[in-house]
Amino acid sequence: MTAAQAVTRRLAELVLVFLGVMFIIYVMVFTLPGDPIMALGGDRPLPENVVAELRSRYHLDEPVWKQYLYYLQGLAQGDLGTNFSGQPVADRLAARWPVTIALALTAWGIELVIGVGLGLYAGLRRGRVGDRVVLAGTILAASVPVFVVAVSAQLVFGVQLGWFPVAGTTQGWPTAYLLPAACIAVFGLASIARLMRGSVIDTMSSDFVRTLWAKGLTRRQVVGVHVTRNSAIPVLTYLAIDLGYLLGGTVIIEGIFNLPGVGQLLFQAIRAHEGPTVVGVSTALIIVFLVANLVVDLLHTALDPRIRHE
Amino acid sequence: MKARVRATVGVAALGLVLAACGSTDAEDEPTTTETEGPSGSISIAVTDPGQLTPGRQTVAYDFSMAVFAPLTFIDDASEMTYVAAESVESEDATTWTITLREGWTFHDGTPVTAQSYVDAWNTVAYGPNAFENSGQLANVVGYEDLNTESDPATEMSGLEVVDESTFTVTLAGPDSQFPLQVSQAQTAMYPMPEVAFEDLEAYDRQPIGNGAFVMVGEYVENDPIELEAYPEYQGPAPTISAMTLVPYSDTGTAYTDVLAGNLDVASLPPDRTAQAESDFGDRIYAFEAPGIAFLGIPLADERYQDIRVRQAISMAIDRETINEVIYGGLYEPATAFTPAIAPGTPVGICGELCEYHPEDAKDLLDEAGGFEGTIDIYYPGGIGLDEMYAAIANNLRQNLEVEAVATPSTDWAEFYETRLNGDAPGPFFSRWGALYPSQQNTLRVFFVENGGCTNCIPWYDDEVAELIAEADATVDSDDAASAYAVVQERILEEFPAPPLFFETYSYVTSERVEVLPTSAVGNPLFSQTVLAEDA
Repeated sequence: MTAAQAVTRRLAELVLVFLGVMFIIYVMVFTLPGDPIMALGGDRPLPENVVAELRSRYHLDEPVWKQYLYYLQGLAQGDLGTNFSGQPVADRLAARWPVTIALALTAWGIELVIGVGLGLYAGLRRGRVGDRVVLAGTILAASVPVFVVAVSAQLVFGVQLGWFPVAGTTQGWPTAYLLPAACIAVFGLASIARLMRGSVIDTMSSDFVRTLWAKGLTRRQVVGVHVTRNSAIPVLTYLAIDLGYLLGGTVIIEGIFNLPGVGQLLFQAIRAHEGPTVVGVSTALIIVFLVANLVVDLLHTALDPRIRHE
Repeated sequence: MKARVRATVGVAALGLVLAACGSTDAEDEPTTTETEGPSGSISIAVTDPGQLTPGRQTVAYDFSMAVFAPLTFIDDASEMTYVAAESVESEDATTWTITLREGWTFHDGTPVTAQSYVDAWNTVAYGPNAFENSGQLANVVGYEDLNTESDPATEMSGLEVVDESTFTVTLAGPDSQFPLQVSQAQTAMYPMPEVAFEDLEAYDRQPIGNGAFVMVGEYVENDPIELEAYPEYQGPAPTISAMTLVPYSDTGTAYTDVLAGNLDVASLPPDRTAQAESDFGDRIYAFEAPGIAFLGIPLADERYQDIRVRQAISMAIDRETINEVIYGGLYEPATAFTPAIAPGTPVGICGELCEYHPEDAKDLLDEAGGFEGTIDIYYPGGIGLDEMYAAIANNLRQNLEVEAVATPSTDWAEFYETRLNGDAPGPFFSRWGALYPSQQNTLRVFFVENGGCTNCIPWYDDEVAELIAEADATVDSDDAASAYAVVQERILEEFPAPPLFFETYSYVTSERVEVLPTSAVGNPLFSQTVLAEDA
């Protein structure tokens, strides 16, 4: 099967996954306990007529399958729907994607550079002090909850040292994004470093590396080209999945650092029981996740021609 | 308590401090174009408002009060003064004549007239618009006609323009508290300029008001909102020249940002009250607010029907300690059925029943035959109330020797619907923050059927309803206040729900803020903020 065919088949699978997932999410939001319209006014009750008008405006007075059809109908015309105060979901998403993308890519970059670097360093110095330090450090980093890391970082670097803003995006990239990105990156970075370390150790003891040494290649050639490239395959899979996760799973960090990104939007939308927003955001996230995986599969063949699409 | 003292002294000292620091600020602030007058700006943490039209907003009070001016204003001593109105008067408390002050303009330069008010109120009340705050006008004659199922009217018959600066409001029944109902936090009562009615959606993104501050640029979700002083403003001059309202999704983050000095004012999240004093020292403000929290009792459950059970629960709760430990002493144990800030409130009427008497509580419960099963306290989860309700459950378990647990709902929507349907499994969260400091508002909301907080205290008594109506019809404000106090005597006889706390709304400020004043609605009066001299 050629790469083009593989891509086509994967895309066809994607469409089916979407329709199913979207419906499930829609129903889940619909069945959340509590009435979203009544809760619009906080603890101040809305007049009955206001509630009735808003219910019919957003089709909440009709059965869920019908609401879903209205939603799909709009979707077919490129309309992602609105929230309960009439703001279009598409606009909200468009306003928030840049924040999340900047955050995710910054975090990913940190993970990639530091994680792979540390892994390589530790793997090549197996059993020595440097290796031990990296191992201990990564265990510690992976076991501290991201919430604790974020709040501590805020207090130390934002309040006491004043190096970074505590919250918000007003100072722009990179200043406003470095601290939150570093906090998210901590966990992924630790995993990548450990993964890379193991992979490097495996590769170093493999037959082809011994052959390379025997051929008289320099350390720089062996490690810099062959070992790194071959060790990178498992790490790459992790990195791709992690990018998908970063693009969608940064709810906590976006909340703590007050970054108006997609994760925060999703969180607010779930709390407000806004079906169209939740489905819109989730769908976008699924697309990102699946595309990231697709890209990895294709990259695998580039790094290691022995891997074929079957 | 330090914070409280400072808040009260602050307003009195306002004029003096102003005189002292007004001129130096002007030199430090190059962005201000005016050479005299107020200068300096502050940044304030807010919840992203979503909707800004006063008749629609639900979380944009700070914005509304800056961009709009009320007819009447009630200060932190509960004294009423006129702002946009020259007078609000009535012979019979049913038909009210509102006379506007001359010379007021909207930010677009058009004059504020009686018609501006009548048009705005009709728009807010018009059913198909579905404006969230339309209920504030429900007492005006003709409100129902704008909210019929089919073919609703567009104008309330109870509103009549007399001349350019006078209009009359006819209410469905006498209501002595009407002048208080047109004060600063009742945002449905604000006027709107003609341009608003041409495109309500566009107006919602950039409201043009009659207040001290003009909104600069359109609203973009989650972007800071910039406000600038309106030079033609006819009301009390603001002490600052600009405000920035910065949306935060997490109140804890806003708190930290004030700590770092990047933000000037944020509300104090409940879960930070214990550490606030060490973080902010005397830069904490606890404003007395027209809010009160009860422990709602599910009276349909026969185990709670004996009044002694309810009294025992009340006396088993150690309000003082909960306040000290969980709220850093910023709250105030409740001793009446309306907030103390509402004039005429019979503070202390609850007596021993609102005090901590664990032995008496146990005896009283035994006398009533004890309690079968578990007291399952139900409260909304995710808004920082966990410690308080866990503490109350502990109090009940230890002092009454009954099983008691506190269970949160998953979110506000679930809690709200459960309470509305009267399905709470046990005693429940029940609070109300009034929008004007009158006993009437709190009494009506809790104790009149469909008064607002439905099933917050599921006890609707004919005698209470009659007494409230009598007080409503009392034109003289002092007499009315005494009449509302009589209602509370009747409530005490049945003791349908233990009062817990008189609420305070608490804020922390950066070092740039010298004095943060407040008004009777308990939130800061940002337009009169006094900045520190070197800010």
